[in-house]
Amino acid sequence: MAIPIIMPKFSMTQEAATVVQWLVAEGDSVEKGDLLMEVETDKITMDVEAMDAGVLRGLTVKAGDVVPVTEVIGYIVPDGETWEESAEALKAESVARAKATPVAQRMAKANMVDIGSVPSSNGQRITRRDVEAFLQTPVNGNDVAAESDKLRATPAARRIAREREVDLAQISGSGPKGRIQANDVAAFVLPTVQVEAEPAVNVVPFGRMRHTIAERMTQNYQEIPHITFTISADMTATLELRQRINAHAERDGSARISVTAVLAKVCGWALQRHPLVNASWHENGIEMHDTANIGVAVALEDGLIVPVVHDAGRKGLSAIAAQVNELTEKARFGRLQPAEVQGGTFTISNLGMFGIDQFTAIINAPQSAILAVGRTKKEAVVIDDAVEIRPMMTMTLSADHRIIDGAVAARFLHDIVQAIEQPDIMLW
Amino acid sequence: MLKQRETAGAREDSAETRELTYAQAIREALQLAMNRDERVFMLGEDIGVYGGAFGVSDGLIDQFGAERIRDTPISEAAIAGAAIGSAMTGMRPIAEIQFMDFITLSMEQLVLQGAKIRFMFGGKATVPLVLRTPAGSGTGAAAQHSESLEAWFVHVPGLKVVMPSTPYDAKGLLLAAIEDDNPVIFVEHKLLYRTKGHVPEGYYTVPLSQSDIKREGTDLSVIATSIMVPRAIEAAEILAKKGIELEVVDPRTLKPYDATIATQSVRKTGKALVVHEAPKTGGFGAEVVAELVAGDAFDYLDAPVRRLAGLDVPIPYNRELERAAVPQVEDIVREARALVEGVY
Repeated sequence: MAIPIIMPKFSMTQEAATVVQWLVAEGDSVEKGDLLMEVETDKITMDVEAMDAGVLRGLTVKAGDVVPVTEVIGYIVPDGETWEESAEALKAESVARAKATPVAQRMAKANMVDIGSVPSSNGQRITRRDVEAFLQTPVNGNDVAAESDKLRATPAARRIAREREVDLAQISGSGPKGRIQANDVAAFVLPTVQVEAEPAVNVVPFGRMRHTIAERMTQNYQEIPHITFTISADMTATLELRQRINAHAERDGSARISVTAVLAKVCGWALQRHPLVNASWHENGIEMHDTANIGVAVALEDGLIVPVVHDAGRKGLSAIAAQVNELTEKARFGRLQPAEVQGGTFTISNLGMFGIDQFTAIINAPQSAILAVGRTKKEAVVIDDAVEIRPMMTMTLSADHRIIDGAVAARFLHDIVQAIEQPDIMLW
Repeated sequence: MLKQRETAGAREDSAETRELTYAQAIREALQLAMNRDERVFMLGEDIGVYGGAFGVSDGLIDQFGAERIRDTPISEAAIAGAAIGSAMTGMRPIAEIQFMDFITLSMEQLVLQGAKIRFMFGGKATVPLVLRTPAGSGTGAAAQHSESLEAWFVHVPGLKVVMPSTPYDAKGLLLAAIEDDNPVIFVEHKLLYRTKGHVPEGYYTVPLSQSDIKREGTDLSVIATSIMVPRAIEAAEILAKKGIELEVVDPRTLKPYDATIATQSVRKTGKALVVHEAPKTGGFGAEVVAELVAGDAFDYLDAPVRRLAGLDVPIPYNRELERAAVPQVEDIVREARALVEGVY
């Protein structure tokens, strides 16, 4: 291929040179080192030498022209090659070459890149930066595919996407090179709820309480290994007791006691005898609670809340009843103070008034157990080989099996039943 | 009488808020250990009459005598060898190598002998040795008096490596090292000797293999050793004004290294920068990074884990070049900011 003759640069600051005269003419044969032309700068006059042997072709400048340095001013066509052949091959390259800085050309050559295929960022000259950018662009088709297949995301972003079942491909990254950051995933998750709420579907937005209930129930149900135990108690004695106390309460003007209040007392008493049921699971150990603080689940119009009767084991029935009534009332009107719903160590959920026979409840972490109480109804039971009609109540204890084994739960329930059937045992 | 009572009261108060330099804290630990256990003694070059190259053992020869504060010939191999031998035979030596650079001459004794004896003797012999040595640059002492060679010893099973960053840690860790029945390389930093901090009176230990959070933050965990701890804290104060909160974690013990604290920290911040003075290549920082990405922190990483460490060059004598060869406060600020802001 023809070798370009370039206007040389003789000094650091020189930008152009003036052609004084050609010493050879188009079509002349030259040897390496022959003098081709005389040029002058504002400082000196210099000769330009042939860098190789061949025939001079395509000379573009004439005496008197001012030519920028590094510009191609002609070609030496090597022996055995015609100018026409060379010209075609040179055409594309020469156009680009004329538009590239010398450094860019040198870099392109060193990296075996065709300077003509490097795009110029300023639309005029191809600079070193353009070549660098070009070198960093993947040229291989496979590389391009691999690059687009692989998603850039941080491990934290991937974890959050995994946990929330979000497709990373839908998320645009804000990190370096478009990498998806944890924040991008977190920010993406919320709007999807709204996006998916199509007008045809009746989606009722939930409030803070529903959100909290949903989150806590899911977490508790997933994280705590629940075991459940169901047992029935004969309510005869408890109902009689309640009747007597309420008759007294009426005369006295104090609070009437509910079945729930009796159960709170019974559970408080039994929990003091079974400390493992009154405990909390922690990664490094089991926290044993000093007092039995009984949470009483109260159904609200739009959710539920669990006010707490602190130290129920040591309180009298009347005090417990008064407190349960007060807390229930406050709960229904949303006036509970934070302290009144905190610190519970055990929960009672009573759905007997709704006619439920029996059910199981989800443990309210960090508590280790919850008692689901059904309605009291008359049943035919066998007592001393005779069938009798007794008011029976069925309860189901859900227990955290990390703390409470079957036998522990069974002994606890046995005490509960005993206290319900013979309440005076609690006077011991 | 009244005046005396006042003075006594003031002394009691100062017990609460008393400040010591890092060098004084180490000296106090040495005094406490030697008063407590007659098997404890020191040996090293110029530690007696001269008081140590950095004044750490100043006055100890007057207090404990030349038998227990032993000036040795200029032979680091002999110092290490004598220390190991005496440790095996019932003493609890504290050897001093005047500059960590000279520990090169003790390597055979430390690595080939001291580190392996307990293992090879099936536990019938122990080497309760502490080898104290000042490391680090910043004093204009040039390439042969400025090195940080801790990573070498971290790599040798049988040795423990401790690098305190504060006077409090220096005292507590040195006493823990003296109590330990294994050879402990106790790496002090020349520029830290004059730094001050709260140091309780009396005997206390800081357990080995327990990292410490030196500053709490939310945006980036900087896990730094030795002199880089105060530099990281200084960087953190600068960045705090720009709303970036760095958490500074100090491993304190490099071997055996417990990554729990650093892991917890990175799980919180999602980003980590590991900083030490020793050259980056093959440095302890690589170990810290590896523990993070291989462990429970991985799923919480929200940026590449980066190292900021010394350049892979001998420490230059020229002051400007010496400064440029190891991380400075402004370098930590720059790297931390880049990681937090995602500009890299």
